[in-house]
Amino acid sequence: MGSLGTLHVLTLAAAGFCLAALTFLIGRTYAFGRRDYLSAPRGYAGRGLVYAFGKGMVDKESVSRHKPTMLGGVVYHLSIFAALAYVLWIALPIRLSPPPGVFRPVFLVGAAVGLTLLAKRALKPHLRRLSCPDDFFANLFVDLFLVLSLLHTFRPALEAALMVVSILLFIYIPLGKIRHCFFFFYTRLVFGLHFGRRGALPGSGLKV
Amino acid sequence: MANATPPRDPYEDKLDNLTDADIAVILAELRRRLKAPEIAAAHTCIRCGLCADACHYYLTNGELEDVPAHKLNLVLAVIKHHFTPGGRLAGGWVGARKLDRAMVREWVDALFGRCSGCGRCTMNCTSGINIHGLIRAARGALAAAGLVPPELQSTVMMAVERGNNMGIPRDEWLETLAWIEEELRTETGDPEARIPVDAKGARLLYTVNPREPKFFPLSLLAAAKMFYAAGESWTFSSDHYDVTNYGLYSGDDAHAGLMSDRLVKAKEDLGAEVLVLGECGHGFGSTRWEAPQWLNKRFPFPVKSVLEVAADYLRQGRIRLDPSKNRKPVTLHDPCNLVRLGGVVEEQRLLLTSAVEDFREMTPNRQKNYCCGGGGGQLAMTRFAKRRLSAGRLKADQIRATGAKIVVAPCHNCIDQLIELNKEYKLGTEVKTVIEVVADAIVLPPRPA
Repeated sequence: MGSLGTLHVLTLAAAGFCLAALTFLIGRTYAFGRRDYLSAPRGYAGRGLVYAFGKGMVDKESVSRHKPTMLGGVVYHLSIFAALAYVLWIALPIRLSPPPGVFRPVFLVGAAVGLTLLAKRALKPHLRRLSCPDDFFANLFVDLFLVLSLLHTFRPALEAALMVVSILLFIYIPLGKIRHCFFFFYTRLVFGLHFGRRGALPGSGLKV
Repeated sequence: MANATPPRDPYEDKLDNLTDADIAVILAELRRRLKAPEIAAAHTCIRCGLCADACHYYLTNGELEDVPAHKLNLVLAVIKHHFTPGGRLAGGWVGARKLDRAMVREWVDALFGRCSGCGRCTMNCTSGINIHGLIRAARGALAAAGLVPPELQSTVMMAVERGNNMGIPRDEWLETLAWIEEELRTETGDPEARIPVDAKGARLLYTVNPREPKFFPLSLLAAAKMFYAAGESWTFSSDHYDVTNYGLYSGDDAHAGLMSDRLVKAKEDLGAEVLVLGECGHGFGSTRWEAPQWLNKRFPFPVKSVLEVAADYLRQGRIRLDPSKNRKPVTLHDPCNLVRLGGVVEEQRLLLTSAVEDFREMTPNRQKNYCCGGGGGQLAMTRFAKRRLSAGRLKADQIRATGAKIVVAPCHNCIDQLIELNKEYKLGTEVKTVIEVVADAIVLPPRPA
């Protein structure tokens, strides 16, 4: 196995570590126990879930008052997931290469948005004061990953560099704020269940 | 003559002289309250700051300390430092902070002084983190160390020690009811009309905010008139009628549970089928949603808001309303604990659209309403009164924009704040409860010959 092949294996191992570490974190989180709801429901938890992952994702002022940021955030996250898929595609023993023409615009837009969000965090006084070093580092790190992925679509010779950054990123994901990619879904689930059973979310209440 | 030194605030002294043992008590209580969702929140918040515009404190003052993410992260920082490995190992990097005297002061200022627990930030959080729930958990941790601002704590203790938060003696309560009963007879023209007290086997046990007998007895009359018109079997308890529960605000689950349990026991002693909660937002949130958690038991009986009961009467034809009796334009304030966090959203609208000629919604409304600023114990905590009135400007602006002459709020806490906002911002409106407006519109059934 050549050095590139070794990097592929290490990338897959890092991805495995990432998944294992996130699973461990989830286990530790669950070890704190869950809260049983003892009050009688007056709405539908299921409809609350549908709202939480559906209309509730956009039916809020954090979206309506910040449309560019929210749109940017969505694009950013999609491009990150695309880049992770791209790297795994390269690392896995699949004969067919990922089509660069498809990924290139995604990475370009994602990196641009990521750097814009980083600039926003650095330049807006309240946001800057709210942030911790991890907020800047994680953003910058992911942006570097996206830029390298983009460059790789032009210059396959950068594959080793991309793999090294990917390995470090996979290791960092469970250690820093990027872990929110997992916990976001759990928190959203709890939100939908909690307020759905109260009938407090639009469409989750009893008919009056 | 020498200038007299103003006396030190004992609460400030206490904050200045916190011991390691106090800090340990706070942390132990915080740990006790942490479940998976709270730990997950520490891993979920990305400090995007988009919740800022959801908070009436931030929208009126614009300070970083008012941003919900800032308040939340004061709590999460401590959770991370003390209860997560990442926070212990790389504290500053991930925004973890040790709980020390300075942090406790920040907690008190932000969590008690800049939050009404309205939950608007929770609804607008990009991830759906229960921000107000975590803030309440931290308030509860402070409560364990005796660090609830004394004005709020005294309201809790008044209810615990005297049975109601206004300290109304039993005789005074019964005298007020006797007087209101006379008024009910005059109003209905029925010499047999009654306000039942301790009536065994009545279908409903009705509970009220003690401000009603103390300052707003016409609210009692309104409810009595509605029950009379509906031919309802109902009763008050002579001892336990206080629907409020400031333990929700102080975060003190033990006292909160004790207060809720009294209502449950009164219902059981009287053999009532339904526990009906008067127009009190946090009282509804406490007894309907939180009390089973505090008492660690399921209630085998329905707990309902009086609005749900009244809406049922209207739907079932048990009361008839004549909107021409309420001609002035009316707008509705949605109490946070009843609506956004409680799920009682449409009942009050059904009642008002049937009871008034000109009903005008505020913008935004329902779950998206702005808090009036009176919740979270803010009305009790006089030390933060200036902020409370300033944060209420949004609500005042909303009311003014409707052009309504009457503001209706199904919550006596909100009503107190709205009365103050009315003065502060010269709104020139009347403030009423929903049931008062309904009672004004009731067409009384013909008396049997």
